[in-house]
Amino acid sequence: MTAPAVPADGGPGAVARPAGRKPSVLRQVLARPDGMAGFVILVVFTVLALVPTLLVGPLQTAVTATGPRLAPPSIGYPLGTDELGRSILNLTVHATRVSMVIGFLATIVTVLIGAVLGIMSGFVGGRFDAVTMRIADFFLVIPTFVLAIILTAIIRDVVGTGSTEILGIRLSLITIVIVIGITSWSSTARIIRSQTLSLKERAFVDRARVIGAGGGHIMRRHVLPNVTNLIVANAVLVFAGAILTETTLAFVGLGDPFQPSWGQILDAARQVGAPSLGAWWYFVPAGVCIVLVVFAFTLLGNALDAVLNPKLQARR
Amino acid sequence: MSELLRLEGLQVYFPVRGGAFDALARRPRGYVRAVDGIDLTIGKGEILGLVGESGSGKTTTGRVVVKLTKQTGGRVIFDGQDVSSLWGTKALRTYRRRVQLIFQDPYETLNPKHTIGEFVGEPLDVNGIATSRQDREERIHAALETAGLRPAADFAARYPHELSGGQRQRVVIAGALVMDPELVVADEPVSMLDVSIRTELLHLMLDLRNERGLAYLFITHDLAVAWVLADRIAVMYLGRILEIGPAEQVIRHPRNPYTQALVSVSPSPEPPAEGEELKRTILVGETPDAAHVPAGCRFHPRCPLAFDRCRVDEPPLVEVGEGHQAACWLVEQG
Amino acid sequence: MTTPDGVASAAALAVRDRRRWPLPKLADPTAPLLVVEDLAVRFRIPSGTVKAVDGVSFRMDDGEALGIVGESGCGKTTTALSLVHLLPANGTIKSGRVALFGIDLVPKTEQQMARYRWREISLVFQGAMNALNPVRRIRDLIAEPIEVRLGQSQDAARQRAGELLELVGIPAQRGTAYPHELSGGMRQRAMIAIALACDPAIVIGDEPTTALDVMVQAQILQLLERLRRDLGLSLILITHDLSVIAETCDRVMVMYAGRVAEEGPVRRVFMAPRHPYTQKLLSAFPNIRADRRTLEVIPGMPPDLRTPPPGCRFAPRCPAALPVCVEIAPSEVRFADGVRVACHLYPASDVAPVEPQP
Repeated sequence: MTAPAVPADGGPGAVARPAGRKPSVLRQVLARPDGMAGFVILVVFTVLALVPTLLVGPLQTAVTATGPRLAPPSIGYPLGTDELGRSILNLTVHATRVSMVIGFLATIVTVLIGAVLGIMSGFVGGRFDAVTMRIADFFLVIPTFVLAIILTAIIRDVVGTGSTEILGIRLSLITIVIVIGITSWSSTARIIRSQTLSLKERAFVDRARVIGAGGGHIMRRHVLPNVTNLIVANAVLVFAGAILTETTLAFVGLGDPFQPSWGQILDAARQVGAPSLGAWWYFVPAGVCIVLVVFAFTLLGNALDAVLNPKLQARR
Repeated sequence: MSELLRLEGLQVYFPVRGGAFDALARRPRGYVRAVDGIDLTIGKGEILGLVGESGSGKTTTGRVVVKLTKQTGGRVIFDGQDVSSLWGTKALRTYRRRVQLIFQDPYETLNPKHTIGEFVGEPLDVNGIATSRQDREERIHAALETAGLRPAADFAARYPHELSGGQRQRVVIAGALVMDPELVVADEPVSMLDVSIRTELLHLMLDLRNERGLAYLFITHDLAVAWVLADRIAVMYLGRILEIGPAEQVIRHPRNPYTQALVSVSPSPEPPAEGEELKRTILVGETPDAAHVPAGCRFHPRCPLAFDRCRVDEPPLVEVGEGHQAACWLVEQG
Repeated sequence: MTTPDGVASAAALAVRDRRRWPLPKLADPTAPLLVVEDLAVRFRIPSGTVKAVDGVSFRMDDGEALGIVGESGCGKTTTALSLVHLLPANGTIKSGRVALFGIDLVPKTEQQMARYRWREISLVFQGAMNALNPVRRIRDLIAEPIEVRLGQSQDAARQRAGELLELVGIPAQRGTAYPHELSGGMRQRAMIAIALACDPAIVIGDEPTTALDVMVQAQILQLLERLRRDLGLSLILITHDLSVIAETCDRVMVMYAGRVAEEGPVRRVFMAPRHPYTQKLLSAFPNIRADRRTLEVIPGMPPDLRTPPPGCRFAPRCPAALPVCVEIAPSEVRFADGVRVACHLYPASDVAPVEPQP
């Protein structure tokens, strides 16, 4: 290696070294308009997901529905009613929890599998890496929804469609969580692996080796903290994707009619023929919610990227 | 002076991957002969300057000594014991406590997410050295203070980005000292620092040698720095040592043409006298890459004094003075 | 600050006559090549304003090599970049005069600078790999300024590019190579060829050899020396490496914390340094030709340039500091041997150099 360059002089503040930490990542993200917008939207939806009953009353069922059928929005029913007389507002708000929780759980599963495999693959290399990446390629190449549909059918047989609930979600929907996890982990794994590969070559990893640290220690204490930012940025996008996948799966009839998610609502609207009947109030709210949440995540992901990436460059 | 480290015929070849045919035949297309048979000794408390340009193999040599890179041939003997094949054994841990490395880039060696205290304490944690939290903290603070960072407790809580380049390099030194090693491999430890910071750190390293008997394998491309610091100097070119001996001998009476050229072009802050023409031997071209080492004396294509024999036979190192050896056919002939 | 004499010497004018292209229209044919007076540059950063360059003056004659030396943050690169208006967005020239052939460049707009940038003053940076466009061939990188700035045809530009390649020691057939195909030394030569493309009067080298091996550095410096002689080129060499300046430059300017500490002929300044900072810098530099193998330490750090001290900026670290040094900035004194110093130890030009303090 040739003799390295001396740091160039004369830059602003090249001499002074400020003490103390920079503002936290969260604060920096919120300082940006896109970060703030995304955050606000998500806060709204989180509130809706947490206390739907408080806001619109308990989930209406065919039995408890009292409204007119397929009625357009009115004072009593601000978003109209469905074919069973249930308030669309009620359904949509309750569906928030389902969609968000599924998204959340699916993201956890995806990111966990993806990050662990990505770090190990990148760090250990060799045959483990080769095998893992071939498997990841397999999942990347197969059309997601085709795989999801097949898997859903299979897993449902295994898991069953009983009415036991986890976190207020019926077991049938856990199926969807697993399916999303299986189909999405590979891109996360690839991204994390790339970052791990470049981290592996950095001097501080060499130094850890020189003092006698083993692979596990290095992965835990040196690689992981430096991929956390990437994991978070990636998770945000995975969340958005999970919501979309759930929506699609529900739309093709693989959801659970007893626990409406936004996708469920869209499917129900389709089955009733709401578009041709002109009952726009049936599907537009759910559609808007999906778009808003995905948009919010994209904005956040954008802001995170902008905040985290300059740091990588401003080393001196 | 008793011997601490000995390298015998050290060889590090890296395979060059070929195309499909080679992959099928499971052989590499060729080898990068980064280190091509060197012999070296470092005594206890001695500073050996390993000097060379890029492509000389000096960094690879350093990496072999700290066992970051595995040698493909030759032996490494530390304190009388053969440690060549220590890989993956418990004894490797012990070796690492006694031999440490100071890296070149103070900005890269520190993990930005860890505090200074965590960096300096990591060797203790990994090797289970400290007996208690208090003991651990004391050792960390002692290392920081030895490296000139006071108050130690204050520095231990800071993050790398809060420190200047010179301070960071002191942290790196503290991290290397905390296990009380006997040999430190320093790979260009000051080349990324400003002049005045450089001298402070060189002073520190000298003090550590004088006070603790710490030995150094000091790797650098800068002959002037080696001159100021090293007891003995070895000059490497394309994987071999062309000259080795006491600093005074190698710099003032170089016998190998490459060393002579290097010394003649190493600039000095003393400007030439009025009308004085500096006798500089500026070689043509650059060091060839180590995958295509010239036959015979590897320096002959660029050597201003090369003759027939140089193109055919590789000269061995021969005694040219007290503890001073050079590899050159001209020397052989007297 | 004293203003240097306002007329070019006969020797300088003789060098100037060898120019390939005519002088700029506004040029004064008898004015010195470059006169910088009281240059002040500021940087706006979130935490304040950095007074990076604060009252720097110097003069250059045709065919001269001036070395600007100092540590990180002393303002040497900023000074050079401000000559051609290449400061980053948050930097501004607050005041001062940069007279090229008598033409003040400071008030020039971007459009007006086109006549001077690269055609009269060009730059060679350190780390050529970052400065060379990796997807363009070397020959095209050299030809581009010839086409764009001199308005030559592509053929004529390519022809000249070939000549320049030979001039810097790269065989013409290697002109079709991409930067990554060349070695470090060759890339630096290519950078020099690009800097010479429009036959400038002044080439500024910002740490041009710092990242190179010592032998390649010697080759590049030898090349620069030859170009100086053959083309009548003037050189401003910015570096932290005193020894490079000692062996290649005629004059040296030592900068500290945005100001000039000492300036003058290299032999005078290096053999009999007057300013305590210069003395310390020299003694802190490893010298391969010295008998004694010791190094001295300069304790402390340069000041924060957002709030520089009112007096001499070196006072906090100066072993010879007097009470007045902390309060009043020293003014420049010019000595008979051509050296300028700004230091209270030299209030008048008849004071002998003060010996270095331990």
